[in-house]
Amino acid sequence: MESITLTADLDALAKTSAFITAAAERCGLDERATWQVQLAVDEAVTNVIQHAYDPDQPGDFTLSWQCHDQRFIVTVRDHGRQFDPSTVPVPDITSPLEERQVGGLGIYLITRLMDEVHFEFSPQGGNLLTMVKYLPSDQAEEANEVVVIPINDRIDALTAPRLSKTVNEQISQGARQIVLDFSNVPFLSSSGLRALLLIRKELMTLGGELRLAALQPQVHEVFTITGFTQVFNIHPSVTEARAAFSQRR
Amino acid sequence: MELTHRRLNRVDLIEVIGRVDAASAPQLKQLIESIFADGRYRIVLDLSKLEYISSPGLRVLIEARKKARDWKITDLEGGDVRIANLPPRIKEVFDLTGFSSLFEIYGDTVEAVGSF
Repeated sequence: MESITLTADLDALAKTSAFITAAAERCGLDERATWQVQLAVDEAVTNVIQHAYDPDQPGDFTLSWQCHDQRFIVTVRDHGRQFDPSTVPVPDITSPLEERQVGGLGIYLITRLMDEVHFEFSPQGGNLLTMVKYLPSDQAEEANEVVVIPINDRIDALTAPRLSKTVNEQISQGARQIVLDFSNVPFLSSSGLRALLLIRKELMTLGGELRLAALQPQVHEVFTITGFTQVFNIHPSVTEARAAFSQRR
Repeated sequence: MELTHRRLNRVDLIEVIGRVDAASAPQLKQLIESIFADGRYRIVLDLSKLEYISSPGLRVLIEARKKARDWKITDLEGGDVRIANLPPRIKEVFDLTGFSSLFEIYGDTVEAVGSF
């Protein structure tokens, strides 16, 4: 889960838009779904800006997101006055111009753009709006496949960027269970280790997991010395790494 | 968001560029109001470069159209706010909110201006 906390004023809109667009893309939403989420979040944040607090004393709100189980989940929390969605009129989208009311469009758009919408209020927690966008089911198949990436080179400052790029390409195509095959890696430096840490973090943020397989002794030693054998899932072979993914089910 | 404004013979043409949200919608509203204040009530909004619009922007549009149509030169001829060049994403928002049937929407600016 990642979050930002911002003051509920109009300057927040551009920042929340950039934040949530990047998040949706990382989670694997396509262009249209990303745009839908962006608009829904804009409407949610606009509501907080316009209604939660007194305009002269805007409080904060926290925008968070999670990505797992083929769902992109966004929450907006504020500690302003209680919001009761049942008091918002549902716009009659068929009524002609003369009778058309302007209220309630924001909430209405949120409910049309997202797959699930929930409002909760508690005195301690404040207002919590939860919105969910489902990822298409063909991406579910991608996520359930184990992707094995052989690395046929040393991993150092020079080669690490290429490794990151290769893995990120797989991630953007939906891969969530990744095994890195180290059998042909003769050398790993701290730059390489850093790249692996970032890859691992990114995968975990998206609800996935990284496993390292078939490390040569001198490469394994780097993990041992740095204490990172505790942090990474390291397996003697690719077969065992694959099996470890199935066992988690 | 950027706005360009051309005063044609009968019609005022506004190009809306970029994003209309709670922060920028007031600026669009102000421009439209200033055109009304000059006694001119026929406006074409060219949305070809509009990337994004949220409900505060939609509100400005509907209020503008209502106000423009309230002004009548004769029983047959009055004011209006008409739309030219609706990009696909914006059309989607219009369809979702019923706005596609609330406005006259034209495929290009010449047609829209000529419709008055």
